[in-house]
Amino acid sequence: MTAGAPIRGLPLEFIGLSKHFGPVLAVDDLSFTVEPGRVTGFLGPNGSGKTTTLRMLLGLVHPSAGTATIGGRNYWELENPSGTVGAVLEATSFHPARRARTHLRMAARAGGHDDARADEVLELVGLTGDAKRKVGGFSMGMRQRLELATALIGDPDVLILDEPSNGLDPQGIAWLRDFMRYLAGEGRTVLVSSHLLAEMAQTIDDAVIVSFGQLKAQGTLEQITSGLTGVVMRARTPEADRLCAVLTEAGIAFRRLTNDEVAMDGVTPEQVGPLLASKQIVLYELTQEGADLESVFLSLTAGLGFGDVAAHA
Amino acid sequence: MINAIRAELVKMRSMPGVWVSFGLAFPLTVLVTIGVLAGAGGFPGHTFYFVETLRQRRELLGAGYFGIEILAPIVGVLCVTGEYRHKTITTTLVLTPVRTRVLLAKVSVTAVWSIFIALLTLVAVAVVALPWNAALGGVTSQVTDQVGAVVPGLLVSAVLLGLFGLGFGTLVKNQVAAILLTIGGTLILEALLVALARAIFHYNLNWLPNAAGAALAGDIARGFGGGGGREGLQLLAWWQGGLVMLLWGLIPLTIGYFTTFRRDVT
Repeated sequence: MTAGAPIRGLPLEFIGLSKHFGPVLAVDDLSFTVEPGRVTGFLGPNGSGKTTTLRMLLGLVHPSAGTATIGGRNYWELENPSGTVGAVLEATSFHPARRARTHLRMAARAGGHDDARADEVLELVGLTGDAKRKVGGFSMGMRQRLELATALIGDPDVLILDEPSNGLDPQGIAWLRDFMRYLAGEGRTVLVSSHLLAEMAQTIDDAVIVSFGQLKAQGTLEQITSGLTGVVMRARTPEADRLCAVLTEAGIAFRRLTNDEVAMDGVTPEQVGPLLASKQIVLYELTQEGADLESVFLSLTAGLGFGDVAAHA
Repeated sequence: MINAIRAELVKMRSMPGVWVSFGLAFPLTVLVTIGVLAGAGGFPGHTFYFVETLRQRRELLGAGYFGIEILAPIVGVLCVTGEYRHKTITTTLVLTPVRTRVLLAKVSVTAVWSIFIALLTLVAVAVVALPWNAALGGVTSQVTDQVGAVVPGLLVSAVLLGLFGLGFGTLVKNQVAAILLTIGGTLILEALLVALARAIFHYNLNWLPNAAGAALAGDIARGFGGGGGREGLQLLAWWQGGLVMLLWGLIPLTIGYFTTFRRDVT
């Protein structure tokens, strides 16, 4: 957050949140907090319950147990919902025959905002020239921008973004990254779910990692990545196939990066050096690296199953 | 609540299906006018004749009822099923998270559009039916004298028919199924049931939607083709018809709210 900028966002609190869809437990006793003035990444594999969690926060899905609140209140209890929270959930929720400006005017009126906000947010997301076009003719990226414009219609203090980069071109993604940083810099709360971990690593201050509906880690980006610092080893070898076989036999998690490069997780040089020497594997390079977000994400969400992926690569 | 209604008005204004329904009100009224004037003479040899009896005069004034009983329920159905068909329900509920407020706004807006449709049918009567009747030798003031007896019932029945469509749209959610259920049900199935009830059980089945709506409109606004199976049916009193019609809207709306509209939006 920008030094001295007032906090205008609200904390998001998820306490013991669970959701059953029939026999499927989509979210399992999830508890975490999202602070204002920061960009928080909500990370997890497909089907890990991210979207369901966000929809429970917005009252679209009823929790089986627990609560999800905004500044201590349920979403439907807020006096000015669209002026408090803006949400980007899916880029398909538009009437195809409706013009972009009409859609935004509808949103403005629903929230009691001035019609002029429609043109302001259209300009903000770069769709001014398409204001009179019907949404049915929009590309995925344009729909995503329009969804973002809808979320911003009430100049909200809290922004909830579910996979907002979907369909955006590289310029759009870069713009979105700067925009999220800008909003958090103004003291707003920004919660963003995404699969683009490299992108997230450049954007977020905090991360919440979930898998199978359960919380796996929460903290600042530094706290989360430092938890695994020193455990990623990268090896370059002309005998990558034999190396993978040795690692599989030893039960060490690894990822085949290229034909001659393998990354090993959860091991130290003291562990892996003697092992490779005993198997007489030729190495051109063996380096220890600090863990990145992707490494942390993969080790937290998939356990030690990377070898299976590599074996099928 | 006012904000939700204003948003729903914008939505309805930007739905092509609603405008198609609106646009059909005029020609359907003209079609019924042709039927009323063609049958007014009551004897062979006359193609068209001016309206003379009290019933004929009221039928001419209420020529729009046939269009209303088709189009107002369609508008009601479109108002709610369009949200599910185009997945806009997510945006709607994020912008207005109190679901009862959304539904009440839809009831209000459907009522407004249904009245618009009814008014358009009256315009059609004013610019086509009355001048044509006058050209055939009829006295216009003898028809317009019946405005008080016909128009209020026509407007209220339009609102309740819209609510009827909205109720079934909320309950069924699938647009095509909801339209088939409301329109096909009232125009075809009801006529069959009325005829069967009369033929087999000698029962006066006058509490189904179409008959209840006709009772509310004073049993003067006959549908094109002779009343959609209502011939010989002893209709309810106008207030009973209104009450029954209200229930035909409120019951599916209430059931739909608790079973469909309150469900998780995933």
